[in-house]
Amino acid sequence: MIGYVCKYTPVEIIKAFDEEVSRIDPEIKTYEKAEGLTHPNMCSFMKGTLEDILQKNIDEVVLVNCCDSIRRLAEILKNKVKFLHVIDLPRKINESACNLFYAELLEFIRAYEEYKGKKFDQDRFKNILKEHKAKIYDSNECIAVLGARFRDDVIKNIGKRCNINVINLTCTGEHRLSNIMQRNDLIFNYASAIMNSYPCMRMTADRLAFLKNYNLKGIIYNTVKFCDFYSYEYASLKNFLNVPILKIETDYLDFDSGQILNRVDAFLESVGVRKIEVQVKNRGYFMGIDSGSTSTNAVILDQDKNIVSYSILPTGAKALDSAWEAYRIALEKANLRREDISCVVSTGYGRISIPFSDKSVTEITCHGKGAFYLDSGVRTIIDIGGQDSKVIRLDDCGNVVDFVMNDKCSAGTGRFLDVMARVLQVPIEDMAEVVRDFKEDITITSMCTVFAESEVISLIAQNKDKRDIIRGLNRSVASKVASLLGRVGKRAKYMMTGGVAKNNGVVYEIENKIQEKIIIPFEPQIVGALGAALIAAGEND
Amino acid sequence: MNAVNAYLKLVRKNLDKPTIAYKFIKYGLNVAEKYVSFFPDRRLPESLRSLTKLCFKYIRAPIDNPQNAVWVNIFAPTEFLHAMDIYPLFIEAYSSYMSGFCVEDCLIDKAESAGISNTLCSYHKAFIGSGELGILPKPKMAVTTSMVCDANINTFRYLAAKFDIPIYIIDIPYEYNRNTVEYVKGQLLEMIGLIEGVFNKKLDLDRLREIISLENRTRKLIKEYINNLKYKSFNTTMATEMYMLFTSHVFMGLEETFDFYERLVDDIKKAPDRSGKGIFFVHLLPMFEKSFKKYLNFSSEFQILGSDLNYDFLNEMYCPDPFEAIAEKMILNIYNGGFERRVKAVSNLVDEIKPDGIIQFCHWGCKQSIGGVGIYRNYFRERGIPFLAVDGDAIDKRNNQEGQIRTRLEAFLEMLKRR
Repeated sequence: MIGYVCKYTPVEIIKAFDEEVSRIDPEIKTYEKAEGLTHPNMCSFMKGTLEDILQKNIDEVVLVNCCDSIRRLAEILKNKVKFLHVIDLPRKINESACNLFYAELLEFIRAYEEYKGKKFDQDRFKNILKEHKAKIYDSNECIAVLGARFRDDVIKNIGKRCNINVINLTCTGEHRLSNIMQRNDLIFNYASAIMNSYPCMRMTADRLAFLKNYNLKGIIYNTVKFCDFYSYEYASLKNFLNVPILKIETDYLDFDSGQILNRVDAFLESVGVRKIEVQVKNRGYFMGIDSGSTSTNAVILDQDKNIVSYSILPTGAKALDSAWEAYRIALEKANLRREDISCVVSTGYGRISIPFSDKSVTEITCHGKGAFYLDSGVRTIIDIGGQDSKVIRLDDCGNVVDFVMNDKCSAGTGRFLDVMARVLQVPIEDMAEVVRDFKEDITITSMCTVFAESEVISLIAQNKDKRDIIRGLNRSVASKVASLLGRVGKRAKYMMTGGVAKNNGVVYEIENKIQEKIIIPFEPQIVGALGAALIAAGEND
Repeated sequence: MNAVNAYLKLVRKNLDKPTIAYKFIKYGLNVAEKYVSFFPDRRLPESLRSLTKLCFKYIRAPIDNPQNAVWVNIFAPTEFLHAMDIYPLFIEAYSSYMSGFCVEDCLIDKAESAGISNTLCSYHKAFIGSGELGILPKPKMAVTTSMVCDANINTFRYLAAKFDIPIYIIDIPYEYNRNTVEYVKGQLLEMIGLIEGVFNKKLDLDRLREIISLENRTRKLIKEYINNLKYKSFNTTMATEMYMLFTSHVFMGLEETFDFYERLVDDIKKAPDRSGKGIFFVHLLPMFEKSFKKYLNFSSEFQILGSDLNYDFLNEMYCPDPFEAIAEKMILNIYNGGFERRVKAVSNLVDEIKPDGIIQFCHWGCKQSIGGVGIYRNYFRERGIPFLAVDGDAIDKRNNQEGQIRTRLEAFLEMLKRR
């Protein structure tokens, strides 16, 4: 079996040799061997592919020198597999580039004939190409998946969550080969068809024009950590196309994680194409329950959408127990019984594990609903919770139109401040102090919680004033928020939600940084649950 | 130094005011050039003092004269620009100067907040951040090559679209043969057509031939310098080795560059015999990193012998057909093509210079270099030459974990001392 990774690989030529060919789609969990052979900061797809080839003993590999990572992969694989061939793919699409690629294909055929001791079968190749039909554009509304490659099961997973067509425009997608002319030199025509397929970011051709062939309702844009190609396109695309875009960053293997699916769901909700689970009722009392990583909060509304009661509890070791307890306390405070509640909507990281909820909606949509309910002038929500921070942009009707979240890192979250309070040996309340009369302007430079922790330890060792360090830490959280705000663009009014909104020190530093006033609701932790309760009461999600 | 710090604070404070920030940067570069002219660092040999000054001149020209400037990457064929009296702005060097101005963090944050990946190379992020902030003057056009690093095409394409300027991308194939040379030649001809149109002037082929001839003579001097490094050495700095990237790449073929190498050869001949342990770098030198600066700059115990990046093409070029000569130069660069080409070239340099230890500074986001760390490690282990790979960032100082780097470097140097 010959393994390959790139869509520009001459798969049909390999098939004409009557050989089995398979796209390598790593599903491994660790990079034990790969990280011994290369650097940990290489892209996770490259490391995954290397690990997969070694684990599965794939001994024939054809690569295209697509990017720096794959080029290094090729060199690492030398002497580790029986047959390795690297095809040099030109980046331009013109006649002389096609000629070069044609020569590369002939060289591949020669090399494989020599290795395998069998001839390339022209007739078989001709028959394979006869069966090929180029993909025809679909004019129906669709969600496009764009950017770095996705695994096939991931595309299916997105399809299941969406009520319109999902098209895969990544390099594992549908536009691998354009039409092939059957006359004259078939291999040259084939080379030309491969070169003229929808270009990947490596090529110099314009990719954006191609998108105009589709009726796009939204774009899910994937970037892979340490694969930097696609972030450029994302940065241009958001200014070029008037289509909602969700950017996600994965390490290729973790797409199915709750954090990423959460964003996809929120995005599909915001463009109105998420599959609806149940019909909601519109009489009685309605509950929203937000099962977060740090606190579990519940809100009950009456049918006129007035807040009847709410509860806030720390999330214990078992999220479900905390959810039941928040549910019970909210009922008790409102003097209601379970049967009085017509509908329960759950949100937060634990939302799918709450058996008594009728429906689950992401906290992004819920924070949007809740904040807009509290103040209809709010256009930007800064939500800093225990394990993530996000900025949500609302339109004039309170619908979520864009959002960004921190990526897989606790810097700039409530957890970051918890860790630092522990290092400084101060109660978390002391971290909330507004420090105006600082002695020294300390900047915490480390971007990662673990490194920031050692930086703080060394500041303590230098006898720096704790209040100055706290100010530095709060400013570091503010700077993370400012960066997220930069990505969605600033627009007043601002509201801050989540537990960290109770930290006056952080709020003060964010206000300073963005030079705008931030509204802090009376109980910032319940905004998500409030939004869920509003959806339970019949507001569109 | 207080005046310098006050100035740096002022630049930082005004980064969101593009016109003012641009003026401050111009002013700072101008004053710095004058400073190094009047108060050169006496610890450096005369040739390297003149190099510092020369680099300020080279970086200032396109910033001061954007209407006659082209953005280029380090591997771009700037011979054409020199032949047409156009100033190249060498983007990697620009980012390095911005790190010297201590504003790289703001620039990088700006690029990341525009959506650029945080795992991208900091040289590119800092340049993009400058473009996003508008503190870079708009040049006439941009020229980049696909060589060596994936970021080149993307950074240039992104900023060219943002600034609405023409761009030419030269695609350099991996292998050297007749077809690939013709493919590159064809592109160079197309590029010249574009440059001539943009600047409304003609390329003088004879002038181009003279530049290539001077390049050949300069490379002879470089080889002579390498030859002397075997026995002799200066107590130099990482910064001067990095400055040499101006003369070995973007400004190769100019009279002043030739003069610099002539002086360098004179100085190395006069230099004392190597007394300390010689350190050779593959790829970049961490000129801003504290521990490296402390242990290597001006050290007679551990002497910097240079980097392979300054010697990535040492062949003679064929003057009568400058297009062919330049196409060959790009395809045959040791950083282009398979990694074995680079290993072989480093191996030749090691045979020539005979360092006591090799360091690969694994620069944040530089996949093309760090991906080969395992290959280098195995190669030097086989040859019995101590090798250190250390992670960090040549631009963004926030990515350098001081304690971790210090421990690794000290342990490596202790190891060298014992040998």
